Amino acid sequence: MDRDSEDDETATGQATLVEGTARVVAIEDDVPWLEPEQTTSCGGCAASGLCGAKGIGTVASQLARRRFPLPDAPRLVVGDRVVVGVSERALLKASGITYALPLVFMFGAGGVAQWLADSDGITMVSMVAALGVGLIAVRLGGQALSAHGQLAPRFLRRAGSDETCQTTARPAPELND
Amino acid sequence: MQEYVLLMVGAALVNNVILARFLGLCSFMGVTTRVDTAIGMGLATTFVITVSSMGNWAIEGYLLEPYGLGYLRTVTFILVIAGAVQFTEMTVRKISPPLFQMLGIYLPLITTNCAVLGVALIMVETKLSFIAATLFAFASSLGYSLVMVIFAGLRERLALSQVPRIFAGPPIGFIVASLLALAFLGFSGINTN
Repeated sequence: MDRDSEDDETATGQATLVEGTARVVAIEDDVPWLEPEQTTSCGGCAASGLCGAKGIGTVASQLARRRFPLPDAPRLVVGDRVVVGVSERALLKASGITYALPLVFMFGAGGVAQWLADSDGITMVSMVAALGVGLIAVRLGGQALSAHGQLAPRFLRRAGSDETCQTTARPAPELND
Repeated sequence: MQEYVLLMVGAALVNNVILARFLGLCSFMGVTTRVDTAIGMGLATTFVITVSSMGNWAIEGYLLEPYGLGYLRTVTFILVIAGAVQFTEMTVRKISPPLFQMLGIYLPLITTNCAVLGVALIMVETKLSFIAATLFAFASSLGYSLVMVIFAGLRERLALSQVPRIFAGPPIGFIVASLLALAFLGFSGINTN
C-alpha cells in the first residue's frame, strides 16, 4: 500500500471518500456512462424540488459535459441511480493542482517583473504569460494524477430513493471530549 | 514590501470578506458541511477572484475611468467575472477532462458568489497599483478560504454533537458563525494603515 492509500484510510480502516449521486444515462460497450446529479453545491440534486437555489449550472448541456464512465460498476441499466465516491485526498490534490499551481506561477512572475521593471503594464503581461505556463503545468499534473487512477470515481452502491446529494462516506470518529 | 504585507493582513483578517463584510454567505453556509469540499471551493474561489480582479483592474484603469464610464462598472465587472469562470471551466475541461469531472461542480456556484464582485468593487475604490490590487484580491480570497475551512471543521464537529432539537441544523450553524465573527473582531485592533 502506498503512502497516498494509507492517508486515505481512517482509523477504522475505511477509505475516506467524498460521495455524490449519479444517474446512468447510457451503456456503451458494456460500460455505463453516468451523469452527476449534483452540478452545483446546491440546487442540482434530487432534493432540488424543495430548494430555491436551483437553476445555475443545471442545464442539459452542462450536465452532458460532466458525463463519466464507470467501468468497475456491477451490471447497471439506463436510469439507475448510484452513489459514486472519490478519494478525499485526491480531491484536495486535484484542487491544489488546478487552482493553486497557476497562482504560484502568476505571483512568482509578477513579483519578479515588479521588482525588475516596476511597471503595471509589464507586471500584468508577465502575470498573464505565467498563467499560461501555469495551465500547462496543470495539464501535466492532471496527467500524473490520472495515470495513478486517482481521479476516477469508484462505484459504492445503488442510491436509495431518499438518497440525495447530502451524503457522506466518512465513518463517524469517536470524540473523547 | 511592508505595505504589501499589511495590505494582505488587512484584507484577509481585519476586513475579512465573510465575517466583516458579510459577502459570499451562500457558499459559506452551503459548501461548509465538509472540510475537503470547503478547501476545494476556497481554492477555486481564490483562483477566480484573483484572475477576475486582474481583468477588472485593467478594464477600470484603461477603459472605464479614462472615458468616464464609471456607471458601467458593476455590469462590466459581472461580465468579467462570468468570463473568468467560463474561461476556467473551458480551460480545465480542455487541458484535463478528469480534473474537470472532479472539480467542475464548484465553478457554476462561483458565478453567483457576491464575494467575487464585492472584492473587485472594493479594490477599484481603494485606487491601488496593479500588483497591490492583485495581492489585495488574493489575500481577500485567502481570508474567505480560511473562514470556510474553519467553519467547515466546526460544522463537522457539530454534526457529531448532541444539539437541542430546536437548534439542530442551520440554527446552530448561524450561532457558531456569529461566535466566529466575534472572534475575528479581535483582529480589528491591528493597525494596518
